[in-house]
Formats: sequence, C-alpha cells, structure tokens
Amino acid sequence: MAQNKNARSVAVKAAKQQPKDQPKKPAKIYVSSKIAIDPLKRRFHRADIVFEGVDHSGVSYEGRVFLNNESAGLKTPKNSKNGYAGSFHIFGHGGCFGDVGHCEVRGLPRTYDPRPAHALTPARKVVIATEALRQAVAKGKTITVTVVPIVRAGTSRSDYENVIKFDRISLVAYTG
Amino acid sequence: MANGLTIRSSIEGLENTPGGLDALRDAYSKMQQISDNRGWLYWSGIHGFPQYMCWHHGRVGMGDAVPYNLFLPWHRAYLLYFEHTARDQNNAVALPWWDWTSPNSHQVGIPKSYSDAQAGGGNNPLAAGPMPAMPPDGPRSTTRNPDDPGNLPTPDDVNGLMSLGNFVDFTTQLEDLHDRIHGWVSGDMGVVATSAYDPIFWAHHCMIDRIWYLWQLQNGVNSIPADYLDKPLAPFALTVRDVLDVNRLGYDYAQTFVTVNA
Repeated sequence: MAQNKNARSVAVKAAKQQPKDQPKKPAKIYVSSKIAIDPLKRRFHRADIVFEGVDHSGVSYEGRVFLNNESAGLKTPKNSKNGYAGSFHIFGHGGCFGDVGHCEVRGLPRTYDPRPAHALTPARKVVIATEALRQAVAKGKTITVTVVPIVRAGTSRSDYENVIKFDRISLVAYTG
Repeated sequence: MANGLTIRSSIEGLENTPGGLDALRDAYSKMQQISDNRGWLYWSGIHGFPQYMCWHHGRVGMGDAVPYNLFLPWHRAYLLYFEHTARDQNNAVALPWWDWTSPNSHQVGIPKSYSDAQAGGGNNPLAAGPMPAMPPDGPRSTTRNPDDPGNLPTPDDVNGLMSLGNFVDFTTQLEDLHDRIHGWVSGDMGVVATSAYDPIFWAHHCMIDRIWYLWQLQNGVNSIPADYLDKPLAPFALTVRDVLDVNRLGYDYAQTFVTVNA
C-alpha cells in the first residue's frame, strides 16, 4: 500500500455543470505529490484508490480521478489515454443548516454513549481502479493522483471553492 | 399484492398501467397537506433537516473499533415506515422504483409522471414536495436541476456491483452510485439536508433497495457482517437483523415473467 499525506491543490475555473442558481466560483483541483508505487509491483487481481477522511459537509460533487495527469481539468476526457482511473461521488450535506456548533463533528463516543457518531464524520471513498493502476505501475516507479471536482449540487451555505478535503490517499492492491 | 405481500413495481411499469400511479398520487397529495406526524414534512424531516437521522458512510459507535455502515439497512427501514404511513392515506400504495439505467430514463431523465407539473387535474404531488422553513429561508417547494440523461448510470454499472461478493465492498460501491444520482438530479435532491422532501427521493431509494435485494438473491439474505446484525436502526423499532429479508417485512419486488407453452 502506498500513501500520500502531502498534497497541493490547483485552482481552476468553475464547471459549466454548476447549479445554474448558484454563483460561479473556481473549484480547486487536487494534485498529489509523487507517490512511490514499488509496493504495488506484485501481480494483483484488483487495485483500489482509497480516499480517507473525506469531508461531505458541503457541495455534492463527482471527483474524477486521473493518474499521472497533473494538468487534468474539467474538460479532460474520461479515458485511459488521459489517465482516467474512475470517479467517486459525494452526496454532500449542502452546508450547515443548524445553529452554532451543529456541524462540529464531536469526537469518539464517550463511554456508555449509545448514539452513533456525528453525521458529518468523514467518509471513506473507494475507487476500483485495477486497470488504470496496472498501467501506471507498468510505466514507472511513482504516480500522481489528480482529483477534478465536478460540482453537482449545493446551496447558498456551501463553499464552492474548497470542495475537495480529505486526510489521505491509499493505493491498495489485492494479490493472491 | 401477491401472497399477502405488497409488490413494488417500477415507475415505468406503473406509467404503462391505466391508473397505475393513482394511489401513490392520492397518498402523497394527502400527506403533503398534513402537518402532524402522518405528514410529508414529518417523515421527510427524519432524513436530513431537521432531524438528520439518515445513515451515510461508515461511522463508529459505542464500543466499536472499526466503522460500520448501515446505509442499506437504515434506508430499507426508512422506506418501510414511510410506505406504511403512505398506505394509511391510500391502502393501495406500494413504493415504486425509478430505474435510472433504463432506456426510457436515458432518454427523458426524470420519469414524466414525476416531472409533469400537473396531474389528475391539479398540481402533481410527484413533481415536488413541500419543505419547512429553514432559517433564514421560509417554507417552499422542492426544485430540481437534472443533468443530461445520457449521464445516468447504465445496466453495466449495476452489473458491476453484482460481481462484488463482500457486503461491505458492495455497500461502499452501491452508496457511491446512490450519491451519483442525488448529484445528477441536483437541486434539493442534491444535498442531504433537503433531499427527502423531493418525491423522487423515495423512488430513487426504492431502486437502491431493490439492487440490494437482487444482490441478496445472489449472495443470500444473511450475507452481512455478523457484528452488524444487532445494530439498531434509530429511530425505527428495528435492527439490521429485522430488515434483511424483504418478504418478512411484507413486500417483494415485481418480477418479469415470460411464459411459453410446453
């Protein structure tokens, strides 16, 4: 498994697909630093790109994942030639609709607290990207992961610019 | 009904049946006029604003070391309670599913019966639903902003899910497909806070529930991690174990039969 915790983002112009009743704002694209993929060199029958700690408090969007294409953008075709690996989708909460403190994610449940964790507990998204990763592994020792957000829905309480927020990426290969 | 079970059909099947959607329209219309716990605002408000009881993604609960995801069983329970509440208004109601992979959906997008502004001589209760005041915004009706019908999932997208034999894996991918549709419809369906106020929400989740049902036919109704079974599905008086078999919940999904003479 390969991980990247240090990443930078690139701002691009808003997509034409933004909800027509919302102001157009540039949505930042995520581009990872180079991820070493030597651990993935063994033969695998399935490989996933896993995004952990994904924020889903804001807009709903499609996160288009491209490998080794740092200039991928809103108009980049979704095909293997451009390194398209797949998409994940976020069904966002649309921003905060409660009073002060409503959207603050409380920590792990205290002892004897039977309630499930906060509804905004960050999500885990899995993109099954077996063929894309197989091709990337065959070509080099490192890859970059680019995530292009295509905003689908939001509200006046949503941040349309800082759409992609997550803690880390893992590349997971299943062998045997 | 068949064998005492409520049979859920597709929207397209009901559109092609004279009077097929009459009971649903009648029930929704009545619920949308009721302000108490039998009404639209009450039941839709359980999912997002103001109660936020809906279960999406994995979460850790008391005593849990590993997150668990009750997305599918929770929404199955939610639909069950909602369907019974709708049947209180019209006993012939069965929730229909919206097959967003069908050729018709890929042509028209949202089914005509859910997009026509008028139906049965009045406002179409399937086209929009009432919403409460969400300060600072006042009460209003739901709106949509659907994407190109060509961008809806295909049967291959669903078939790909059927090849996943592990429940957690299947749930993760089906939930992602579910997220995609919410974004496709957009508008109030597009965000958690307001989605359940849109009548198409129930048909969309009926399709999600049906896909799980079809996966269960292939993998067994009990194909779920054992530590999920006794998890409560608040606020419903049900656990995960209670909702695994749709027949035991009193419903089934319509099948398509072709009969030939021997």
